[in-house]
Amino acid sequence: MEILRYYIALWAAKLSIVALKITKHNGTNFPGVLALKICPRFLKYAAKPEKIIAVTGTNGKTTTSNMLLDMLTMDGHNVLNNKMGSNINSGIASSLIYGSTIFGKCKHKVGLFEIDERSAVRVFPYMKPDYMLITNLSRDSIMRNGHPEYIGDILTKYIPKETKLVVNADCLISCGIAPENERVYFGIEEMEGDIKECINLINDIQICPDCHNKLEYEYLRYNHIGKAYCPVCGFKAPEYDYAGVNVNVADMTIDVKDAEGTGHYKLLNESVFNIYNVVSAVALLRQMGYSHEKIESFFEKLNIVGSRLHEEKIGDKTLIKLLAKEKNAFATSRVFDYISTLPGDKEIILMNSCQGDMKHWSENTCWLYDCDFEFLNQDCIKNIVLCGPRRLDHKLRLLLAGVPEEKLSYSEKEIDAPDQLKLFENDNVYVLYGTDSIGLGNRVAAKVRELMKGGRD
Amino acid sequence: MDKTIRIEVLFPEIANLYGDLENISYLKKSCPEIEVAETHLVGEPCFMEKTPDLIYMGTLTERGQRLAVEKLAQYKAKIVEMIEAGVHFLVTGNALEVFGGKITDTNGSEDCGLEIFPIHAKRDMMKRFNSLYLAKFVDGETAMDIVGYKSQFTHSYWDGEAGEGVFDTVRGPGLNPEITKEGVRRNNFLGTYVIGPVLVLNPPFAKWLLKEIGAGDVELAFEKEAMEAYEARVKEYSDENTGFYY
Ligand SMILES: [Zn+2]
Repeated sequence: MEILRYYIALWAAKLSIVALKITKHNGTNFPGVLALKICPRFLKYAAKPEKIIAVTGTNGKTTTSNMLLDMLTMDGHNVLNNKMGSNINSGIASSLIYGSTIFGKCKHKVGLFEIDERSAVRVFPYMKPDYMLITNLSRDSIMRNGHPEYIGDILTKYIPKETKLVVNADCLISCGIAPENERVYFGIEEMEGDIKECINLINDIQICPDCHNKLEYEYLRYNHIGKAYCPVCGFKAPEYDYAGVNVNVADMTIDVKDAEGTGHYKLLNESVFNIYNVVSAVALLRQMGYSHEKIESFFEKLNIVGSRLHEEKIGDKTLIKLLAKEKNAFATSRVFDYISTLPGDKEIILMNSCQGDMKHWSENTCWLYDCDFEFLNQDCIKNIVLCGPRRLDHKLRLLLAGVPEEKLSYSEKEIDAPDQLKLFENDNVYVLYGTDSIGLGNRVAAKVRELMKGGRD
Repeated sequence: MDKTIRIEVLFPEIANLYGDLENISYLKKSCPEIEVAETHLVGEPCFMEKTPDLIYMGTLTERGQRLAVEKLAQYKAKIVEMIEAGVHFLVTGNALEVFGGKITDTNGSEDCGLEIFPIHAKRDMMKRFNSLYLAKFVDGETAMDIVGYKSQFTHSYWDGEAGEGVFDTVRGPGLNPEITKEGVRRNNFLGTYVIGPVLVLNPPFAKWLLKEIGAGDVELAFEKEAMEAYEARVKEYSDENTGFYY
């Protein structure tokens, strides 16, 4: 009888799509939410594409999914995906509803889904990806994600046994996921800027999984991302099946080497974070059977989406909007590190208070002490404007990070923060907003833009 | 400060979740003469050679808890001796369970702590409990407000009659949601489920602790700013309109 429920759910959801269209409502996830309400095991019965690719991990899954989607589309596939919806079960359900006929037949041969790590529980019992890309696992929201080992355990428990994994060998936490599953590894060989010892506050895998002695690294990028080994018992991180080599940031190129040859690829962004995304995408496509030549041609045609879009030149000054996920110490540390290495003198508007939390409780600020605010203690950073409900916490954190008090300025409301800028000659102003303050971030940036145009002395 | 104050951090390589280690960094930044020693999973704990003035342990993963218990089990007699002798301990988050009894998971598995305190924990990995925390801390003449956060998969329960707690809860759960006494206290052992930089969030508590361990009346690092943030938070959490649960 459940199958009947499924059809009722499918038709109701299909009708809701029509209704949403007529009433000009935007509700990409709604059909999925509705279908799951009517038939909780909707995903079990929903028709799925013949080939399914899943992308998961703490960081980089959206960027990588989008890149893969563009490339598979270039190859002529009409790829079913959840780019416009959410990456949890209702988002996947919505995609399957959009992609299915009213008779419940899937219209697509290939499906590519970005999947939230914790949604594995609700998705994988009913959907068996052929390939699953695991980008990395790191600390995320304390409230939702606990710690990465917990997330790794969820994935191990729910990833279907028949799914072939494409895993980041430079993330030892990811390497431990679903040990029984067939897998290939990707990683990046030693490159310029590598270090040997972790300098970050977060280091989530410090001990050898076999003997508990301190792990060392042949090379390390940030946090625990690098090539680990144990100097005591000989434990080693897995070898790469797909190795990123010859990273050339000046030419923006990288080679990816595997048993059958080497491909020469275009980088889309110079940050190490994004270089991993490129290598992971190449590894997945190679695994799917694409030749290096073919993938190279895809990369040639990829739009450099987003990498420079957030940057705007206004007179002698530059305005840069960057997403620094609130409550995600790992991701925000990457942003701070990135800013600190860019040329030029800077001012920063730090909008890192979680706006969403203010509505129903008060933000858990523990993440501030997992996050490397120390990266902001740089000569080139001249002024940091603190604003929003957690500004007193940010102030104390920055002082403890060694930032001199005279470099801090304050504004209660985010929208007034631009008034605290000095707007010196050749200034680079960074507006750092969170996922729940994108609109506010845009308004603050607009105000900065006006001030820059106004040529204040 | 007449003598060198020594703080021993237990297993910083695994007991380091949620910014907990900042507690000790903050004491060190406030009082640079403090010596901080680290005890690791491999090798003998520092406390076996010399009893420190404060032993600290922060939040762990569930696997980390098992490793810590496995390691400390052989030193249980010494730990009990130190607690009875009044050595100061500050234990935050689920590190508290390392010193308790059974941890029963809803998936049917079971872990066991050092069984120093008569408490047991119930764990549900699919239900994370999140709340803000507001309490009173009273010690002799000293009384102060405490603010902080809880984020955990477990709650602990006393085996028999409830023992002494660390804090008297005003808002949020105690050792478990049914009681207001929070944490476990015996002599100078302070174990609390409150996570993260408790001492940074509560400068009066940091000052009290520094005095307790013999550092005297210390001016904290950025005490003025810490007090400002603390007072604002006490006010915010005391406001009934502030929601308390995630
Ligand atoms: Zn080893």
